[in-house]
Amino acid sequence: MPAWKNCAGVSRRDCLQLGLGTLLGGGLATALRARAADAPHPSGQAKSCILIWQDGGPTHYEMFDPKPGAPAEIRGEFTSIPTAVPGVRFSEHMTRLAKQLDRFAVVRSIRHDQGNHGAGNHYMMTGAPPRIPVGCGAFVSFHPSLGSVVAAEKGAPAGLPPYFSMPSMSRSGGPNFLGAKYAPFVVPNDPNGAGFKVRDVVLPEGLTADRFDTRTDLRTEVDTFRRFADKAAADPAAGLDEHYHQALDLMNSKEAQAAFDVGREPERGRDRYGRNAFGQRLLLARRLVEAGVPFVTVYDGGWDHHTDIFPSLRTRLPAWDHSVSALVDDLRQRGLLDTTLVVALGEFGRTPQVNARGGRDHWSNAMSVLFAGGGTPGGQVVGATDPKGFAAVDRVLAPENFASTVYAKLGIDPGKILYTPQGRPTHLVSDPTPIKELMG
Amino acid sequence: MPRLGLLLPAALFAAPASAAAPTFERDVQPVLTRFGCNAGACHGKARGQNGFQLSLLAFDNDADYQAITAEARGRRVFPASPDHSLLLLKASGRVPHGGGKKLPADGPDYRTVRDWIAAGSPRTPADAPKLLRITVSPAARVSAFRESYRLAVTAHYSDGSTADVTRLAAFSSSESVYAAVSPEGVVTAGPIPGEAAVMARFAEKFAVSAVLVPLTGAPPAEVYDKLPRANFVDGLVWAKLRKLNLLPSEPAGDATFHRRAFLDVIGRLPTPDETRAFLADADPKKREKLVDRLLDRPEYADFWASKWADLLRPNPYRVGMKATYALDQWLRESFRRNTRWDAFAREVIAARGSTFTAGAAVVFRDRREPDELAPLVSQLFLGVRLDCAKCHHHPFEVWGQDDFYGFAAFFGRVGRKGTGLSPPISGGEEFIHLAAGAGRGGAVKHPVTGREMAPTPLLGRPIEVRPETDPRAALAAWATAPDNPFFSRATVNRVWADLMGRGIVDPVDDLRATNPPSNPELLDALAADFVKNGYDLKKLIRTITTSRVYALSTTPNDRNAGDGRNYSRHYRQRLRAEVLLDMVSDVTGVAEKFEGMPPGSRAVEVWTARAQSVFLDSFGRPDPNQDPPCERAADTTVVQALHLMNSPNLHRKVTDDAGRAAGLANGSKSAAEVAEELYLLAYCRPPTAEERAAAVKRFEKPGATRRQAAEDLMWALINTPEFVFND
Repeated sequence: MPAWKNCAGVSRRDCLQLGLGTLLGGGLATALRARAADAPHPSGQAKSCILIWQDGGPTHYEMFDPKPGAPAEIRGEFTSIPTAVPGVRFSEHMTRLAKQLDRFAVVRSIRHDQGNHGAGNHYMMTGAPPRIPVGCGAFVSFHPSLGSVVAAEKGAPAGLPPYFSMPSMSRSGGPNFLGAKYAPFVVPNDPNGAGFKVRDVVLPEGLTADRFDTRTDLRTEVDTFRRFADKAAADPAAGLDEHYHQALDLMNSKEAQAAFDVGREPERGRDRYGRNAFGQRLLLARRLVEAGVPFVTVYDGGWDHHTDIFPSLRTRLPAWDHSVSALVDDLRQRGLLDTTLVVALGEFGRTPQVNARGGRDHWSNAMSVLFAGGGTPGGQVVGATDPKGFAAVDRVLAPENFASTVYAKLGIDPGKILYTPQGRPTHLVSDPTPIKELMG
Repeated sequence: MPRLGLLLPAALFAAPASAAAPTFERDVQPVLTRFGCNAGACHGKARGQNGFQLSLLAFDNDADYQAITAEARGRRVFPASPDHSLLLLKASGRVPHGGGKKLPADGPDYRTVRDWIAAGSPRTPADAPKLLRITVSPAARVSAFRESYRLAVTAHYSDGSTADVTRLAAFSSSESVYAAVSPEGVVTAGPIPGEAAVMARFAEKFAVSAVLVPLTGAPPAEVYDKLPRANFVDGLVWAKLRKLNLLPSEPAGDATFHRRAFLDVIGRLPTPDETRAFLADADPKKREKLVDRLLDRPEYADFWASKWADLLRPNPYRVGMKATYALDQWLRESFRRNTRWDAFAREVIAARGSTFTAGAAVVFRDRREPDELAPLVSQLFLGVRLDCAKCHHHPFEVWGQDDFYGFAAFFGRVGRKGTGLSPPISGGEEFIHLAAGAGRGGAVKHPVTGREMAPTPLLGRPIEVRPETDPRAALAAWATAPDNPFFSRATVNRVWADLMGRGIVDPVDDLRATNPPSNPELLDALAADFVKNGYDLKKLIRTITTSRVYALSTTPNDRNAGDGRNYSRHYRQRLRAEVLLDMVSDVTGVAEKFEGMPPGSRAVEVWTARAQSVFLDSFGRPDPNQDPPCERAADTTVVQALHLMNSPNLHRKVTDDAGRAAGLANGSKSAAEVAEELYLLAYCRPPTAEERAAAVKRFEKPGATRRQAAEDLMWALINTPEFVFND
């Protein structure tokens, strides 16, 4: 059957995708199809993912991979504590997570070779290393982020965007060639603040619902702009119409509005997450997941501790530990943990040697990543760094394995082929091997 | 294509299949390429697949030979029992193979590889005839809807021999809607009129077959003869439409043309008075005169500079705020002066001086390595994407690593003095200069051969550059020479795409044989005219916007609805973020405030993405801190729809006591006049009689105040496609 048969009227990108069946001859196209058929069916049971992005690169030493036996200039100022798993120790401020380790897993052996924020962010957020610079771009990889891919693959219930990012998008958290449709819906406001509202989905202050109805009614009246009925004409105004109606759906969706309204949560429930912006964002993330949103990024900035790491973490880590453990616990109690994957990570780990300014610098030879839920067997630590924490040495894993695990858990084949608008085939993840210990 | 043979050893050896035992480069590599073994998604990717790595599309014969014959403890080839070679067990699917069954054990390609292994895996002798080129036939064909035919591919060798290599060629279509091609080379025309370039590839050579699929039923010749012609653009577009049996849409009305010209030339809406005056003007030359007036307006410079800022604007966290500002101001000044475009390009390519005062020099603070500068300059000024060729031979192009690093060598002597980058502040000043002596640390080397590269223009011979001369000056001189095949075409194509909604070559910065222009004669003529007019951008814009083609309506007719490439109608464009925000400010009469900029600044004057704006971000302003930084999204999204409807900022502008709606409501105008004013502001046309009557009713509704009615009408107009699109 000719490839153009279904093509008239669809976007050029779609056409290119169809055309690609022929582009590389029987060779690649057949190979790819065969590949897809051979691939093990993803055993994903997770419906949603909450990704906690610790921007700047969280230290592995002071969180999940302490080195009590290392010299003081490496060990740092914190001691270590036992966890629910005999023989596994966390750093001293991770008290609640340490007690809960039977319910989640930590991978200590992910490493890569990108030592700056842009590149590290890209690698972890997309599963693809930054590539060749093109045109005006310093770190262009042409690869969509985890959130955008999940949004495109899974969609969301009517009236809800499939991908949220709060309070901002991380550098490489965008859709890239998948298109703006799969860009995150950014909620910049602070859910811990009084009168919190999700931006633009509620009427602006001072506008009544009646008045809004008058306006939408009036809009229909003034909208006499000609639409081109012939699909072949590919009228872009039709796209705007679609988005206008989706926007109204979102505004009218009781489920969506209810999910956004953290004020409906009982006080105790809010306290449990910590009454700070980060804690309340995790709470909002849980509410969104409950409403069926498949991907939520909670962007948690300020982990780039080049100076004074210890005083700063003494206050920050207990609060972080509190909020993240509350999220995992709450999801479990609500029966959502099996279908919700929670991951926490940043660009990379931090240098072994505490520097002259009392900080640690960028270190991509080792990093720790937390995995909870979505069928992740709890109570395990995957991989290890050497006794001084310099490098991952046991079960050395790559960002590709991280991304593949997230996709596989969500029922998305990490070996899937995507096509760029230019028709270039690219694997969703170049090494589509999930971390088997986490797959359950 | 010159010099390719030097780059790609495969080319040296390929020869017609003969009765003699198969050899590696000549016989085996084409099989691996044809069946996608070394494709980018399989063993050809940077890390190979399951431990077996081949060079992408066989560009490195030595490495591939090594991978096949020596790695994996030699299990891949087994001369004593060739059928048990892992290579063949996998390829034929007799042992599990992620890529599936590629070479059936009874097929000719399997036999080629088996015979090669049996013969002891010989390489092709260096003196074997070389593959010079391939041809595809038919090279061009006019095809009826749904018609099918077979292509034939012929290889031509240095000894004068030829071979039919159709079976080992791969095929692809540039536009499979118009003409699809099967893996076997069978072209099938689509059900709508259009054109496609069908590419055949064998080894590292390619050839293109042009397919033209006209609409059924040719309109009489005199219909085309009678079409109006204001300048050469029209005749060339009509000629192309005639080939495809398409007919142009009606001319756009005066109001539509007026709004379009304002938005396209100066990036803002006309005022109601300007619209009224234009509509009332009986001068038959009023459209040309309008274009001339617009080109003289000060807004022109900011608007066009902002487009180039998309492509050049650095990340302020990387290069520093002061340098970012310097580059921005230099750009705006260039457009204010209407600097000749060849001079502009020379100023960028050979920029020198302080990154605080010589704006163009900032490009070299941002991009620091020759291999970052080469693709930037080639893409920006020549419309050539070289980036693939940095790592491997471009699969659909002539460019290889020799070309890439030869071009990069022009940037081998960029010297920097002063304070380098220290993100995230990077506030220092640097001086870009000519570093001493060729070859002293600054030399650009080929990454595979290690050979020091001589500066070499695209498709050209190495240029001798004297030690006291900056190689970049030689590059600039080559690029901006009147006979340069890329520079003027790339420039006119960008400007044409901005004004017409789609490039003659699309994407605009991807000129190559396998992505041909939709109207080569038009591209050539525009380029020649541009050179003749002294690389004057304003003259170019004038030529395009005063053509009858530019002035066509967007509404399709029954002989052009499917045409998205030949300009038989104007193509609607969603307005750019900055333009749209300025439009909202102008309609509401409430200026936007930007951090760190004087009150009353317009969005097109914003010089860094660090000036926060939810509006601009929602509508796709590129953020140089994002990845990829220069991508400007033209899609419409739910976020945009929500923002226009509900954003507190927009609400404030609509309801501001000092704003337009309040002013109109408090003034002495009748309801009908207020409605007319609002229609003129937002849509740049008076309302129709029905629209006017309907709007007046809103004002007279029980309980409605004039203020509310004016605000509601303003809100409604802003929230429609007629506002958001340039029609």
